[in-house]
Amino acid sequence: MKRMMQWGLSLFFMLTASNVFAAVENLNPEGNFKVIPGLLMIGLLVLFVVVGVFAKAKNTEDYWAAGRGIGQMGGGAAIASNWMSAASYLGMAGLIYLQGFFAISYVLGWTGGYVLLLVLMAGPIRRYGKYTAPDFVGDRYYSQAARLLSALIVILISFVYAVGQYKGIGMMFNWIFGIDYKTSVVVGTLVVLAYVLISGMLGATKNMQVQYVVIVTTFLLPLFFIAHKLGYFSAVPQIGYGAALYDIGHGGNGLTAEVAEPSFYLPFIKDTAYHWFALCITLMLGTAGLPHVIGRFYVVPRVSDARWQVVWGLFFIALVYWTAPAYAAYAKFSNLLGTSGVNIAPDAIVVNAAELAGLPEWFAGFLAAGAVSAAFSTVGGLLMSGTSAFAHDIYFRVLRPNATEETKMKVARIGTVVLGLSIIAVALNPPALIAQIVAVAFALGANTFFPLFLLGIWWSRTTKEAAIVGMIVGLAVTFGSMLIPKTSLLAYYVPFTSSSVVGVPLVLIVMIVVSLMTPEPSREIKELLYKVHNDE
Amino acid sequence: MEKEGLGQKDNKDININFFKPVGEFMTRDVTMSKIILAVWIVAVYGFLLLLVMAADPNDTVQVTLSTGEVITQVTGKSFLTEMRFLGFPFHYFYMTWFCIALFIAQCWWYCKFSDNLEAELGKAEKKPGQPK
Repeated sequence: MKRMMQWGLSLFFMLTASNVFAAVENLNPEGNFKVIPGLLMIGLLVLFVVVGVFAKAKNTEDYWAAGRGIGQMGGGAAIASNWMSAASYLGMAGLIYLQGFFAISYVLGWTGGYVLLLVLMAGPIRRYGKYTAPDFVGDRYYSQAARLLSALIVILISFVYAVGQYKGIGMMFNWIFGIDYKTSVVVGTLVVLAYVLISGMLGATKNMQVQYVVIVTTFLLPLFFIAHKLGYFSAVPQIGYGAALYDIGHGGNGLTAEVAEPSFYLPFIKDTAYHWFALCITLMLGTAGLPHVIGRFYVVPRVSDARWQVVWGLFFIALVYWTAPAYAAYAKFSNLLGTSGVNIAPDAIVVNAAELAGLPEWFAGFLAAGAVSAAFSTVGGLLMSGTSAFAHDIYFRVLRPNATEETKMKVARIGTVVLGLSIIAVALNPPALIAQIVAVAFALGANTFFPLFLLGIWWSRTTKEAAIVGMIVGLAVTFGSMLIPKTSLLAYYVPFTSSSVVGVPLVLIVMIVVSLMTPEPSREIKELLYKVHNDE
Repeated sequence: MEKEGLGQKDNKDININFFKPVGEFMTRDVTMSKIILAVWIVAVYGFLLLLVMAADPNDTVQVTLSTGEVITQVTGKSFLTEMRFLGFPFHYFYMTWFCIALFIAQCWWYCKFSDNLEAELGKAEKKPGQPK
């Protein structure tokens, strides 16, 4: 198993090294320290650590599942901030800015997946009553090997996902403090590690609620001023950008028809409908298969609460997702108008939008601070789920079942540090745009955990052999799609951000065939599933 | 007698299959899930298909594929993209505003349904701390 992990890691490093477009734009070449944004940022970091200290985890039960005592709305806010990362805050608007309507598939993929998650997964998973995703896999598929493999996949997903977040943190620290990108990544990471270590998940859950408030305030507020400055309906700037879209495509509001870019709003100019579909469905299936999202269902006491917190969570997420395309549109509009003197990077377009519209620096600082909060809350959740996979599922369940509480806590802390530091190595030379890196994590979740949970819950005939083969095929498809030459026909139909369009059906078929060829699961498993589905 | 009771238990179908639900709770839950998922798929991907089908065949653009091949395809310009709604090109409003609102409504609907189903079948959980 250790060898497999090493193999996986070295494969990942190989992939990263093989990519050429690694250079990150320097957003602050003069090295200016921006005072107000800097103070905002430091203030927020102190706040997070203080909240973490006050809500410190007392024992491992707290550390893993936060004592199961969080309400519907609170749970929703935690889901939302855990969910909304640098990819939602910075990456999505950046891709819409670059690719127009094509990137709307990110917006729909990352919201629509919740319907799938709620209808197919939330209730049964909560009723099944396990603490972590590998716990469920190990129990349902009555196999330590399946548990181990799934725990390794959890770590891998956390790893890939966090690389995108570190990039976001690095870029924002670069913009605010004027230190170069690489130093920013290291400094930012050390701060995240410090607060995850100080608090546990209970601290993290409280922190997530505070962070949600920070995320939504910083993201929504500057938009009013941007819309007002550009002369669009600014009472609800999320509606006002509709007219800006039309002007970008046709000219108007000071924009001549010659510089208009219809490719920004027309559906199939940047890419094909197939690719729109492939990306959107990958992100939707990934949403329903991400272990750190599924993990949120275990922290509520009642099944009904587990469901309602999805509704709240989705609503809280929507507030940001209705807003992100507006940033892209306003930035595009200002850019076409010809504003100069701003260092633009797609992954910083949200901050650039405020600069382009000519707002004072502290407005942009507001956004930069919010972006770091978004990245922090997600990295916190990811490190938690990655290290719990290691300390709880691998160390405690498989290697040392007799370990004491203290040893478990110690292993968890060491795991956090190792995972946190190893991510830095990749984030220093990020392989792609933030939202694309994160999309790969989603493809990985969709290709492995989604079929595992879907069949595990909804078809009691699924066997342990099928689970193991399924995970291996899922891993092969995800990493295979990254290794095939980018110009090949296969890479055209299976892009690395959207590999689940082929991966999920393939894994499902393989799992069904293998299940039918291997002996049925025991009667106990079937009885348990019957109870889960009939709430007995 | 006891033997018969055991036999009966063995005969009860406890195989779980999404397409062959067993037990009243699961049967009704699955029926609702199917309706919600059908609406969900049609709302997003049905509309995407509609965008492709409604596209003006004369309005085309050259796209360079990742394979290096250059193809000519429709831009997708149609009454759906040129019609304006609240200032938006309609398809943009539909996708970014309406669909997300629809997802929330669907989740809300399913939660209401599940709560009612649990209450009706006497499965609603007691508040924590109360005896079950």
